Amino acid sequence: MRSLPALLILAVAIAVPIAFGGNSYVMGLMVSALIVAGVALAWALLGNLGGMVSFGHAAFFGVGAYTSAILSAKFGLPVPLALLAGACGAALCSIVMLPALRLSGPYFALAILAYAHIFKILATEATSITGGSAGFQRFPPLPTVLGLDLSSRVGSYGLLVVLVALCAAIYLAVKRSHVGTALRAMAESEDATRVVGVNATLLKAWMLLLSAFITGLFGAMNAHIINFLEPDYAFSASWSILPIIAAIFGGYRTILGPVAGAVLIYLFDQIIAKELLPVGHEILLGVLLAGMILIAPNGLFGMFQRKATKGAAHAAA
Amino acid sequence: MLELLQQSLFSGLLVGSVYALVALGIALTFGAMKIINLAHGELVLLAAYMAYVIESRTGWNPYAAIPLAFALTGIVSVVIYLLIERIREHRELNSLILTFAIGIILTNAILLVFASDVRSTGSPFLQDAVSFGPVYAMKGEITAFIISLAVMAGLWWWLKNSWYGRAVRAVSSNRDAAKLMGIDPRRVELAAFIVAGILASVAGVALYTMSVVQPALGPGLTIKAFIVAVLAGVGSIPGVFCAALLLGVTEAMTVTLASSALQELVGMVLFLLVLFFMPNGLFGARARRG
Amino acid sequence: MLRLEDVTVRFGGLTALKDVSFAMGAGEILGLVGPNGAGKTTLFNTISGLVRPKTGRILFAEREIGRLPLHARARLGLGRTFQIPQPMHHLTVRENLTVAQVFGAGKADTARVDEILEVMELGQHAERNAATELALQELKRLEIAKALATNPKLLLLDEVLAGLESNAKRRFVDKLRELHERYKLAIVIVEHDIETISTLCSRAVVLNFGQMIADGTPAEVFRNPAVVESYTGAADA
Repeated sequence: MRSLPALLILAVAIAVPIAFGGNSYVMGLMVSALIVAGVALAWALLGNLGGMVSFGHAAFFGVGAYTSAILSAKFGLPVPLALLAGACGAALCSIVMLPALRLSGPYFALAILAYAHIFKILATEATSITGGSAGFQRFPPLPTVLGLDLSSRVGSYGLLVVLVALCAAIYLAVKRSHVGTALRAMAESEDATRVVGVNATLLKAWMLLLSAFITGLFGAMNAHIINFLEPDYAFSASWSILPIIAAIFGGYRTILGPVAGAVLIYLFDQIIAKELLPVGHEILLGVLLAGMILIAPNGLFGMFQRKATKGAAHAAA
Repeated sequence: MLELLQQSLFSGLLVGSVYALVALGIALTFGAMKIINLAHGELVLLAAYMAYVIESRTGWNPYAAIPLAFALTGIVSVVIYLLIERIREHRELNSLILTFAIGIILTNAILLVFASDVRSTGSPFLQDAVSFGPVYAMKGEITAFIISLAVMAGLWWWLKNSWYGRAVRAVSSNRDAAKLMGIDPRRVELAAFIVAGILASVAGVALYTMSVVQPALGPGLTIKAFIVAVLAGVGSIPGVFCAALLLGVTEAMTVTLASSALQELVGMVLFLLVLFFMPNGLFGARARRG
Repeated sequence: MLRLEDVTVRFGGLTALKDVSFAMGAGEILGLVGPNGAGKTTLFNTISGLVRPKTGRILFAEREIGRLPLHARARLGLGRTFQIPQPMHHLTVRENLTVAQVFGAGKADTARVDEILEVMELGQHAERNAATELALQELKRLEIAKALATNPKLLLLDEVLAGLESNAKRRFVDKLRELHERYKLAIVIVEHDIETISTLCSRAVVLNFGQMIADGTPAEVFRNPAVVESYTGAADA
């Protein structure tokens, strides 16, 4: 019963390529939506387990993208390894952020915002490495594995579904582990948790590392799928904004929420918002985000979960 | 080279005064409500565009836009306050996301109305250069500097002498004690947001008269303001003023000695270093450890 | 086991503890006495790591711990309770103990968690939400249970007996003796009731205005004129 929403989402995920496999526009949208879904999941992991709001995930996304692209193009690293290296690169970059973990919520949020700006400027300026604002292209696409061309729309889609599911599984495992339990306690009773031996800063650091790793992985995936990078794109604030809206909309305290939220928000943005307002379409996303925080801060899935627990309690009584 | 350095020092001081106004707005609302208004930069930008509207429609001096700009930023600032008030759970973090969203809305609203073109004043008076010995400045910069100083003096007087100003300080330093003294924190918070709106309106108009504006500027302004507030240690007006001048000068020096692309980088690196290693800021004392 | 050397704590201009020094051996039960505001809780906070001393040294098991973070002290075997119970929110009673055990004692041992639940009479509440579904006395027992789950060598108990009527109090004192025996604990207990201190503790330390004014057996200490005065003075005020 509890896994019903997950099964439903999986069924939809399988149905999409069957129904729209030939439609490259739809599959392209879905691929991008899944990229956002991966980052939204990583953002929610940091927010829900680590208790930190990040406005700077674009930095991890961009670092993952450039690391993977450069390693595969200039150093001939096979793409799967380059993807992994991209994820590791992003995690490595998050280490610079570790001192920020000692800061309280708002200070952390602004520190990481500044941090993302720094990376964008660095990427634009380091023209010898990134190609600067002229852009960087001609790096290898995703390979063909077992006869399935992963660089095709359907292939990329399939790989992304697997990766998103994998990350969701990792998230779930962490959440259910003792570490997850301790982090849950920390949100509202930090002293009580530390006084029994929980190293709060260390656990938060692991969450930041994991979140950056996942974000970097999807940044790298995206780079190899679209085969083009420029700093303004790879470090675009959109990679921070879209996942936040997706996670809040779906419910950042759930695991399926950010994934479903990402697909809905991305499709809404691309199909409806851009149609209505070719310039400034993000205003609708802003309204949506503000509205969710005010009306339903727990998101769609959060509301369902609450109703479900209430229903179960009633049934038991 | 020496002239160049003198000049960038001077220009940095002038632009720093406007940063101080922006930072004081953020510091004021943060002090009163322990909430960072991430849309504050956009408020400033909104005021700057009002100056553009008045100047381009009527041909008047952009400073004539201050009443209109204040009406608008004041209303938006109060709306932001009322919306934050409605947040019930996890207010500290949810208000960040809320004001972040409002920032997105304002940026895109400006983009929708004014397009992404860069705007700056066309007033011959403001663009006229005056020299002070070896250094020179536009009259617009000098005007902005003087007006900023005057507004800061006014703010200082208000905080020191008026009932609301003293109440803001009381709530900022100890909310519970202020409550016990019969101060309604909500009235004080509202007052802080209105005054932050005034500061943003003046800062925005001043910014328009001495520099160029475009819709994407908002988040950068918020960050700069926060950099200043952090450097100052969210303490006193003189502290914020000194930190703002420091940021202005550092940026101007970076442009002169390195490149304009690195201008923002230096401020942000400085910001992170202070945040990480000097948790009480350069001039003040307030813990920000979690 | 625990030794404090000239520990001074200041909050702004206020001196909360001034040159506090004492030592206690393994297995000792020490009563910490003093009027409200004397600095007893501050002393606990300083020993457990919530408050940094301005000067002085804190040694635990022959090791300087004054600069160690909170969690590291807990792992060395320093357990404490809070006067106002601080359960870990959003967790069940059992999860509270499990987290304390996994992170504080470094191992997951379900049998031992069950044992502590049993000893602290929390077995029937094991699956309840600790922060929202427990009564005050249950919360106080959970405080001790959490500390026990970290495998402490020294337990700092902050007014765990407050609010109990005399029969319950006697039973609880027996319970503390049982814990002391069973887990080979040293205990420092903050308590106002002279009779309890006299029956439970082998030694008592008295604080007043942040300074130690007496140290000795309960009988000696409570005859000390300075102690009597600090109490009656506080009662008059």
